[in-house]
Amino acid sequence: MSGFDIFAIVLVLLVIVTLVAGVKTVPQGYDWTIERFGKYTQTLSPGLNLIVPYFDRVGRKINMMEQVIDIPEQEVITKDNATVTVDGVAFFQVFDAAKASYEVSNLQQAIIVLTMTNIRSVMGSMDLDQVLSHRDEINERLLRVVDAAVSPWGLKVNRIEIKDIVPPADLVEAMGRQMKAERVKRADILQAEGQRQSEILRAEGAKQGQILQAEGRREAAFRDAEARERSAEAEAKATQMVSEAIAKGDVAALNYFIADKYIKAFGQLADSPNQKVIMLPVEAMSMLGSLAGIGEIAKATFGDGAAFAAGAARRGSVPTTGSAPPAVPPRQG
Amino acid sequence: MTDMFVSLGTWNWLIFGFILMALEVLAPGVFLFWLGLAALLVGLISFAIAMSWQLQLVMFAVFAAAAVPVWRRLARPTPDASASPFLNKRSEALLGREFTLEKPIIDGSGTMRIGDTVWRVAGPDTPAGTRVKVVQVDGANLTVAAA
Repeated sequence: MSGFDIFAIVLVLLVIVTLVAGVKTVPQGYDWTIERFGKYTQTLSPGLNLIVPYFDRVGRKINMMEQVIDIPEQEVITKDNATVTVDGVAFFQVFDAAKASYEVSNLQQAIIVLTMTNIRSVMGSMDLDQVLSHRDEINERLLRVVDAAVSPWGLKVNRIEIKDIVPPADLVEAMGRQMKAERVKRADILQAEGQRQSEILRAEGAKQGQILQAEGRREAAFRDAEARERSAEAEAKATQMVSEAIAKGDVAALNYFIADKYIKAFGQLADSPNQKVIMLPVEAMSMLGSLAGIGEIAKATFGDGAAFAAGAARRGSVPTTGSAPPAVPPRQG
Repeated sequence: MTDMFVSLGTWNWLIFGFILMALEVLAPGVFLFWLGLAALLVGLISFAIAMSWQLQLVMFAVFAAAAVPVWRRLARPTPDASASPFLNKRSEALLGREFTLEKPIIDGSGTMRIGDTVWRVAGPDTPAGTRVKVVQVDGANLTVAAA
């Protein structure tokens, strides 16, 4: 084989190797750094790229997509000396491939350690209750601190989330008991309050009832009195009217009224089923007899209308023949 | 074996060229396509002009090397055509958009809440509550100016 033969073969191999070394296809989502004699010169973005073979070399292939890393479990002592176990996740994205490649060594480890120490300092400044209830605030504070810290590395931390906060088992148990006691307390207070309220209401009802009853009695008494007054008034008026009638000389009419009432009363007395024997005082009979005498006196006194009075007296005497006169005239009203 | 290559003569180049092009499809790297093209070219020329195989090899090497500047010229008209130009470029997507500052910018730097996260911003000292516009991005650092 001649020298030219070998030269031609080697030339072809050289060209192929050179092309392979010079043409770079960077996939989407990655940035490649280029080093010239070991020194960073440029960053290749996704797509087809040409570099100078033999001088340039691909340094690091940096993932430019948002990545998630687990923040491992660690024990954190809160401000009130409770030991809680905490883990989380961090989301970050590389914005500057060169800085991410050369400003920091072992990028992920750096982020993890940075986040862990900051979790400790943020949660260590809070009470256990705060730690458990202010997760958003913790995330926010962590994000601000860690994001500022990773800034020189060409990254941005988009999110840090505390996943689990686990207090020790005995503390959890105590918290459960505390919550239960609190609820029981609330229930007891509510029950007592209800009882108090109901008793007050009941007493008020009784009070109101008594007041109303007393008022009713008062009202009834007033009305009774009024009724008595009215009846007295009516009697007085009746008496007045009778006496006026007498004054007008109609004595026989008076006799008639008395006799009429008497007979009615007597009739009622006779109708009574268990009263068949009626005892009448002698004086009653004589008083009845005297009525005629009163009529005569009135006639003699007033004179006027004597004929009518006599007639009336005669008519008035009719009931006296069959029955006894009443002891007292029946009350009116 | 060698006898076979020799007996095929010029056809070797065409076969070689097509094999390279097929390989390009299987393992994309673009340069294999240009090597294949160079091989086809060498084959066509050696059909017309009789050449020694060594010369053919040198020609192939020259064509392959020449393919790079040719390809660069052809590729230039559509440098970065992409359906979503802001893929993986979250900060560039914010360029020109307006936001309200939650915290003031003091001594030229501060933070600004955009969406679900907090961005570092730089710009003239501005009190909180001012509307600002993203005028420049550099990685994850945004430069803002009063809108």
